[in-house]
Amino acid sequence: MKRIARSSIQTAVNLVFFAIIGTAALSSTYHLTRDTIAATVEKAKLKLVSQLLPPSSYDNNIMQDIRTVEADEMLGTDEATQAHIARRDGKPVAVVLEAIAPDGYSGKISLIMAIHQDGSLGGVRVVKHNETPGLGDYIDIAKHDWIKTFDGRSRSLFPDGMWKVRKDGGMFDYMAGATVTPRAVVKAVNRALQYFEAHRDELFIADTPPAKGARI
Amino acid sequence: MLYSPFITRPLTVDRIMRRVLYALLPGISLYVWYFGPAILMSIALAVTAALATEALMLKLRNRPVRPFLADYSALLTGVLIALSIPPLAPWWLPVVGTAFAIAVAKHLYGGLGSNPFNPAMIGYAVLIISFPQEMTQWLSPQGMGLSVLSYGDQLRYVFSGVLPAGMQLDALTMSTPLDTMKTQLHLGMTVSDIRDLPIYGRLAGKGSEMVAAGFALGGLYLLIARIIPWQLPLAFLGTLFALSGLFHLVDPAHYAPPLFHWFSGAAMIGAFFILTDPVTSPTTNKGRIVFGFGAGLLTFLIRAYGGFPDGVAFATILMNMCVPLIDAWTQPRIFGKKKGGER
Amino acid sequence: MTLTEMKDIAWNGLWKQNPGLVQLLGLCPLLAVSSTVINAVSLGLATTLVMILSNAAIAPVRSYVPNEIRIPVFVLIIAVLVTVVQYLMNAYLYGLYIVLGIFVPLIVTNCIVLARAESFASKNPVLPSAFDGMMMGLGLTAVLAVLGGMREIVGKGTLLSGIDLLFGEQAKAWVIPVIPDYHGFLLAILPPGAFIGLGLIIAAKNWLDLRASKKISSQPAPETLPEAVQG
Repeated sequence: MKRIARSSIQTAVNLVFFAIIGTAALSSTYHLTRDTIAATVEKAKLKLVSQLLPPSSYDNNIMQDIRTVEADEMLGTDEATQAHIARRDGKPVAVVLEAIAPDGYSGKISLIMAIHQDGSLGGVRVVKHNETPGLGDYIDIAKHDWIKTFDGRSRSLFPDGMWKVRKDGGMFDYMAGATVTPRAVVKAVNRALQYFEAHRDELFIADTPPAKGARI
Repeated sequence: MLYSPFITRPLTVDRIMRRVLYALLPGISLYVWYFGPAILMSIALAVTAALATEALMLKLRNRPVRPFLADYSALLTGVLIALSIPPLAPWWLPVVGTAFAIAVAKHLYGGLGSNPFNPAMIGYAVLIISFPQEMTQWLSPQGMGLSVLSYGDQLRYVFSGVLPAGMQLDALTMSTPLDTMKTQLHLGMTVSDIRDLPIYGRLAGKGSEMVAAGFALGGLYLLIARIIPWQLPLAFLGTLFALSGLFHLVDPAHYAPPLFHWFSGAAMIGAFFILTDPVTSPTTNKGRIVFGFGAGLLTFLIRAYGGFPDGVAFATILMNMCVPLIDAWTQPRIFGKKKGGER
Repeated sequence: MTLTEMKDIAWNGLWKQNPGLVQLLGLCPLLAVSSTVINAVSLGLATTLVMILSNAAIAPVRSYVPNEIRIPVFVLIIAVLVTVVQYLMNAYLYGLYIVLGIFVPLIVTNCIVLARAESFASKNPVLPSAFDGMMMGLGLTAVLAVLGGMREIVGKGTLLSGIDLLFGEQAKAWVIPVIPDYHGFLLAILPPGAFIGLGLIIAAKNWLDLRASKKISSQPAPETLPEAVQG
C-alpha cells in the first residue's frame, strides 16, 4: 500500500515537473511575441482599412479612435460593433462601419465599409461569407473586383431605386446564375448608408479613450 | 392476350440498355419540342466523350474494347449526363462530366458491374460542384414571350460562346423551377405566389413538367416490359409524394405540393432511369424498397433544406453508398438457418 | 549515429514508411490545406519543425518519464511546442497564419507527431530522434507539396499562388501561371479533390514499388503494407 502511494506521488511530481516546464516555455514565448502579435494584427487591420480609405485622407490614429455602435437592425448586427473614426485636423472625415447582410444564399455575409462624412462610400469589403464557391463568391475581393463598384457611390447621387442589381432595375451588375448574393450585399450596404444618415452626428463622437491595456 | 410458350432471346446487357435508351425517347422529344434542339447537341457531345473515354480506359486496362463498347452502358451514361445539364452549356461541360464519370466513377472502380456509384450522377455532381455558374444557364421554354435563339444560333453559342448581337444570355436563360422556388421562398414569397410566376405551368415548370411526364411515360414502358423492378420507382416516388404532401398540408405557404416535386427537376428521370441502374441498386426486393425510400427522403430533405435546388443526384449517390449494407441486411434467410447465423 | 542508420531513417521517412502515403497518418491537415503548394508546404514545414523539436525534446527525457504517464507527458510537450510555433507564426507570418487558420494549433492532434514520439523518440537517443522527426516531416511535406501542386494546377491553373503571404507584396510576381486564361476546376480545390488526388498519388507510389519489385523479381517483394491506418 505504502509503495503504491509513494510511486503515485512520484508520478504526480514527475507530471507536475513537466507541466511547470511547459508552462514556463509557453508564458515566456507569449511575453516575447505579445507586442509583435498585437502590432501585426493592427497592421493587418490598417491594411484592410487602407483599401477603403486612403491613409493620406486622415491624420488621426484610426485604430484608437473608436465608437461603440449598438446592435441595430439597419446594420444587420445582433451585437455591438466598433466603428473607427477617421479625422483630419480634428474634423471627422469618414467612419469605418461593420454591417451584416443576413440574407446571403448560404447565411450571413459580414461586410466592412468606409463612409465619408458626406455620405459617399469610400469602399466596401466582404470580411466573411459562405457563398457557393465559383458562383456567389465573386463578392470577395480575392475572387473578383465586383465589390469595387461601390466605391464613391452615395445615396444623394443615386436615388433609392438605383440601389438594386440590374435584374431588379438597379445599377449594380451581377453574374448570371448568382443574383441572391449581390442582392443581399447591395441591400445591406444601402441600409447601412441609411443608418449612417440617421446617426451621422453621434457616429463621429468617439467613446472615451480605452483604458490602458484594454483590448483593441 | 398473350399465351405461352414463347421462345425469347435472353435479355443481355446490350438489349436491356437499348430498351432503356428507347424509353428515354419520349422525354427527349418533348425536350426538343419545348426547348429547341440544343439538347441533341449536348447528347451527341456527351455520347462521343463517353465512348471515347470508355475505349481509352478499356485499352489502358488491357481489356477487349469492342464487346464493352457495344453494350450501350457508356452510351446511356452519356445521355443521362447530357439530360442533367443545361443544354446551352459550353461544349466542354458535357465532355468533362462524362469523361470523369466513365474514367473515375466507372473504370477506376473496376468497370461495369464493379462501380459502387452511378457514374452519371457522379459526373453530374462533379459538374455542379466545379462549374456552378455554367450549370445554372437553363433555357427558358420556347414561346414564353422571351427572346428565342434560332437553331443555328443555339449551336453556335455552344461552341463559341457568342450570342447574336443584341441578345443577353440573361434574357434567354432562367433558373430552374426548383431553384426559383427555393430562392423566392427564401425571400419571403409564398408557394402560391411563386407558382403564379410566368415560368410555372400547371404542375411545375412550364415545359419541363411535360419533359418529366415524357420520362415517366418511358419509365412506365420499362416497368411493363419488366426491365426495371417496380419497387424502386414506387418507393422513391411514394416517399417523395408522402413527405412533400405532409409538409404541404401542414404549411402550404412554405412547402411546394407533391405533384410539383414529382414533375420538377430529376424526380421522374431519377425514379425510372437513374435509381434503377442494376449495378448500383440493391438486389433484393426488400432492399429496393429501403433504397427507394431513402432516396426519396434525402431528395425531399435536400430540396427543402439543402444548399442545392435539386437533390436527386446527391440522394442517389448517398444511397448508392448504402447498397452493400442494404443488401446484407435484406438478404433472404436460407431455410433451416437461424437468423444472424454464419453465412 | 552511423551512416547506414541515417540512410535507413531517411529512406523510411521519405519513402518506405512515408507518413502521408504508407502510414496514412496526419491526413486531416494533409487534405484540408493542400489546395495550393504554398499552403501545403507551409503547414508541412510547420509540422516538420514541431516533429524535430518534439522528438528532440522527448528523446533526452525518455528514461525519466514513468511508463504510465508517458502519453500525457508526450502530449504536453507536443502541445507546448505547437503553441510556441503558433505564437511565432502569428507574430511573424500573420497572412499565412490567417490562411492556415485552425490547422496550425491542430498540429497537436496530428497523429504522426505523437506516433513518432511514441515509436521512435521514446526508444532512441536525441540525434537520431531529431533526424527521424525531420525525415518524417519532410516526407509528409513532400506529399503535401505534390498534392498541393496537383490541386493548384488542375484547380486554378497556377503554381505558388499566395507566395506573397510568405515573402511580402513583391513576391506576387513569382506566381507561375501554368495554364493561362484557365477557367478553373473547383473540384480539385474543394475537399473531394484532396481525396481523389491523394488516392492517385498512393496509386502511383504502389505502382512504382510494384515495378521496382518486378525488376528484382528474383527477390521477394518488400513489405510495404501500412503499419497503421488511422488519421
